[in-house]
Amino acid sequence: MKTCIACGMPMEDISDFAGNDPGKDYCVHCARPDGEMQSFEEKRENLASFIVRTQGFNENAARKIAEDMMRKLPAWKDYFC
Amino acid sequence: MRVSTRQVQKQNTRKKIMETAYSVISNKGFSVPSSVIAEEAGISHGSIFAHFPTMNDLLNNLLSDFGDKMGARLHMLAKKSDSVDNLLKEHLKVLEEYEAFYSRLISEKNRLPDEAKTTFAVIQSTLALHFSNVIEREISKGTVRKLPTHMLFNTWLGLVHYYLMNKDFFSDGNESVIKNYGPELLSFYLKMIKNERGVYE
Repeated sequence: MKTCIACGMPMEDISDFAGNDPGKDYCVHCARPDGEMQSFEEKRENLASFIVRTQGFNENAARKIAEDMMRKLPAWKDYFC
Repeated sequence: MRVSTRQVQKQNTRKKIMETAYSVISNKGFSVPSSVIAEEAGISHGSIFAHFPTMNDLLNNLLSDFGDKMGARLHMLAKKSDSVDNLLKEHLKVLEEYEAFYSRLISEKNRLPDEAKTTFAVIQSTLALHFSNVIEREISKGTVRKLPTHMLFNTWLGLVHYYLMNKDFFSDGNESVIKNYGPELLSFYLKMIKNERGVYE
């Protein structure tokens, strides 16, 4: 099974893939409205605000955790050299 | 590409070290010396360091592997849940499956390498994704009280983690706390959050 290169989510159903396209390597949550993959900064901010909204973390802690999570993912490896 | 017998042996030893470390840490905690892991695995102490140069390397690999496995399992079970009742039942199932190691992780997280925090955050964020989808749907239908998502989420985790972190008060020996108390925790939590009178607050 494929996992999203930008957030690590397993993609099992067609609806998990960006634009319902199983050929894509990223998921529906990591796509922009136009279907392109979000940038590093967009993904970091989206992940951090998701963490703040759903888990109530402090904003700086949420941004740090978002970066730590992204560090392990293939889409962002060039940002952590 | 042909894999040599030596490479297979090397991979098997690495796997054995990881599996043994998981089970020893589940029983004795993260401060267990590497010599105990080597003894339990039936290998020489030096052999551990051939695979993992420091104890932190071993812990980081173990934690990352654990976070991926538990996160994937949660994702698979939670995805099919259409109500908060079912989602939390599935959460309890996953917790029971990984109870011993997970309890060590939440109890000792602050004394562990940074990877422990990331592992913890990966697991909780996977759950939070499904929890927020389900709970926000129920709030808009009026079946759950209109309270902030993060407080609903943290109250559930706070309750479950309290029982896991104080396992010695809530269970005898190796009994599962989740198995014994899970149904009571779930029913109490649902009573607190449900909008029983159908009043949209």
